[in-house]
Amino acid sequence: MLEGGKIDAWQAVFLNVIMVIATALLSAPAIMAAQAGQDGWLSALLTTMLGLPIAWITVKLSSLYPGQTLIQYLEDILGQWPGKVLGFLYLLYFIHITSLMAREYGSFLVDVFLIGTPITVVNAIGLIISAYIIKLGLEVLARSNQLFFPWVIGSLVLTFLLVIPEMDLARVQPVLEAGGLQIFKGSLAPLAWYGEIIAFAMVIPFLAKPGEAGKIVILTFIILGLIFFLLVVVGLAVFGPGLPNMNYPILNVTRVISLSRVIERPEPLIMTVWVTGGLFKVTFFYYIIVLGSAQLLQLKSYRPLVLPVGAILAALSLNVSASTLQMFSFIAHYWPFYALFTFEFGFPVALLGIALIKNRGNKSK
Amino acid sequence: MIKKTLCLLLILCLLLPLGGCWSRQELGDLAIVLAAGLDSAPDGKIMLTVQLARPSAFGGGDNGQRAAGPQQNNVWVVSQTGDTVYDAQRYLEAKVSRELYWGHTMLLVLGEQMARESIRKALNFFSRAPDTRETIWVLVSRGAASEVLNSHSQLENTSAQGVGAMVRSGVGVPVMVKDLSMMLASKGTNPVLPRIELTASGTPQGPGMKENIPQAQTGPSHGTHTHAELTITGTGVFNDDRLVGWLGMMESRGMLWLRDEIEKGEITIPSLTEPGKHLSIRIDRGTTEVEPYYDGQNIWFDVKMRMDGELWEQQSMEKITEPQIFAALEKSLALRIEEKSRAVLEKTQQVFGVDIFGFGDAWHRKYPNEWPALKDRWDEEFKTADVHITVEAKIRRTGLTTNRISQEE
Repeated sequence: MLEGGKIDAWQAVFLNVIMVIATALLSAPAIMAAQAGQDGWLSALLTTMLGLPIAWITVKLSSLYPGQTLIQYLEDILGQWPGKVLGFLYLLYFIHITSLMAREYGSFLVDVFLIGTPITVVNAIGLIISAYIIKLGLEVLARSNQLFFPWVIGSLVLTFLLVIPEMDLARVQPVLEAGGLQIFKGSLAPLAWYGEIIAFAMVIPFLAKPGEAGKIVILTFIILGLIFFLLVVVGLAVFGPGLPNMNYPILNVTRVISLSRVIERPEPLIMTVWVTGGLFKVTFFYYIIVLGSAQLLQLKSYRPLVLPVGAILAALSLNVSASTLQMFSFIAHYWPFYALFTFEFGFPVALLGIALIKNRGNKSK
Repeated sequence: MIKKTLCLLLILCLLLPLGGCWSRQELGDLAIVLAAGLDSAPDGKIMLTVQLARPSAFGGGDNGQRAAGPQQNNVWVVSQTGDTVYDAQRYLEAKVSRELYWGHTMLLVLGEQMARESIRKALNFFSRAPDTRETIWVLVSRGAASEVLNSHSQLENTSAQGVGAMVRSGVGVPVMVKDLSMMLASKGTNPVLPRIELTASGTPQGPGMKENIPQAQTGPSHGTHTHAELTITGTGVFNDDRLVGWLGMMESRGMLWLRDEIEKGEITIPSLTEPGKHLSIRIDRGTTEVEPYYDGQNIWFDVKMRMDGELWEQQSMEKITEPQIFAALEKSLALRIEEKSRAVLEKTQQVFGVDIFGFGDAWHRKYPNEWPALKDRWDEEFKTADVHITVEAKIRRTGLTTNRISQEE
């Protein structure tokens, strides 16, 4: 057994929420509003609906192969070598998006707070902490996330509350002007974020009660749906037609807060959300890459892989895109298709189909 | 032993990042920009004027002492031209020994000349650069922005703080960088900005201050006025990003009513019985609702205004305890608000021909399907739109007395 730890249901919910929301929250409202205008909040609701099938497939696959992670049951479904190849591709995909996350994480800090600091420093410090957490195992990851999760959500909620005086719900109207197609387009990029739930397939075997996986993803999606919805509504109600062109609209939301000139400039709130949330998100995916690689190569321990994978992620995070502009353009326009058609939705659907046919065949024998 | 030493070394290593990372900025190395002014310069360039705080003049804790001694100017006003705002700022660093810091900037003043050409080209820096804030107040100056910034306030440390406090308290239309960006982005409304200029205002209370009094106001008619204070004197009306005209102070009040931005103030109505005498009512609360209508051809608006007020001054003698008189006063009050609003409405419809009240946005919300056909010629539609104003005004309180105490028998 590579991983001896067990996590309980709430820890899994918190991990899943952080896994999706952490890097999405600052820029997602702008990406949705760029397509759907003031109907961006409808995109947010639609995304949550469209995301549910992905979650269901993830859980269903794991329930067919109890005790096995995604990388392990790939071999059962497709046979040894094709399974290994697809597993390898999955790992490459995880490496790609994790380096992109690390880049987003560092980019924001360097763009806004640590102007002039090389992004290398920020990314390296973040990844060193991640590596340390992974060395200690899944249980430590889940528990420390559980410890910081209330602060992340609390800061976010506090931001929403403080900005109420600056909000004007008239800016969210008229409803349904954008038309169905634009609303659907607006939901694609966030859907790719929701699709990251596929990574949950790597930790379902380590749940204290794997049967609760279904409940966990439902709860995760309720929380996520609520957060995405509020993010877009707040962004629109504060900035209206100015929202689509902002890089980090939720940061701008905190910058306009001014309660009686006493509570002003609470940007550290959003920095708290970003730094802790982003760190745990990167750590979670980093862990999955390390664990998956060890399972693919059938190693006895994943710990020797921690530092090498970290080095790969650090180096890739610097080169994964040339500029912030390129990064956001990739996330908004290319990543949804790349992710959804293949690793997040396309492959899982195919895998489930093959698995179901195979199982039926086995039973009838 | 080795382990202990290693631990100690590691702990010492923790001290290294404590000093911060790159680009550390100490307060002593910064020049805090309190207000920025933008004027157009020859060859399409921009002239940036900054009002910088002189830290030594602010001091701390010795206010009494400082007031007694000779006053000194708390700010340094310096200008520089450049192709862009940031370009000009970089050239400024050859004159200013410290790095300009925008985090505490309160005002952005756009000069009249620049405003008449285009304000869009000057604004971007203030919503893009991370150390400026979207909460900076934007104003337009009569004359050059560089002139009005070269001033000081008698009550506040700097004229920037003085104007900031006035705008915040609801004198004139309050517009921040974020609001201006939204007004520019929307086709259903045009921007307005409060106008500031220097006006002769009393005499300074100490020697040693060089006054910057506008030429026109130093004539003999101004007598002993030797101090010029930054004053909000109305509103600049824009067509998209070009200044097209001014509204006076009274018209600006009417505009605030129509924009549903009335915060505080008073309304004076003529006496019912005695010509030439007046009553003044303090505004406690004022709200405006705009309901657009469209029948396929004509566009019209129902504007409902509500006001709660408090009678604070009465020059005349009518017995306000009589219900009919009180009701007549409320009616007169409502009429006065309608007159004010209608005056500014007619001026914008007929003279400027631009919608500055957000009526287009209200219309867009109600008729989203018809909007695309109209949005590019909205101002034309607005010019001919009928607006029905109904005002419901209530006087809720009458201060400390009912009728006048000094009633004549």
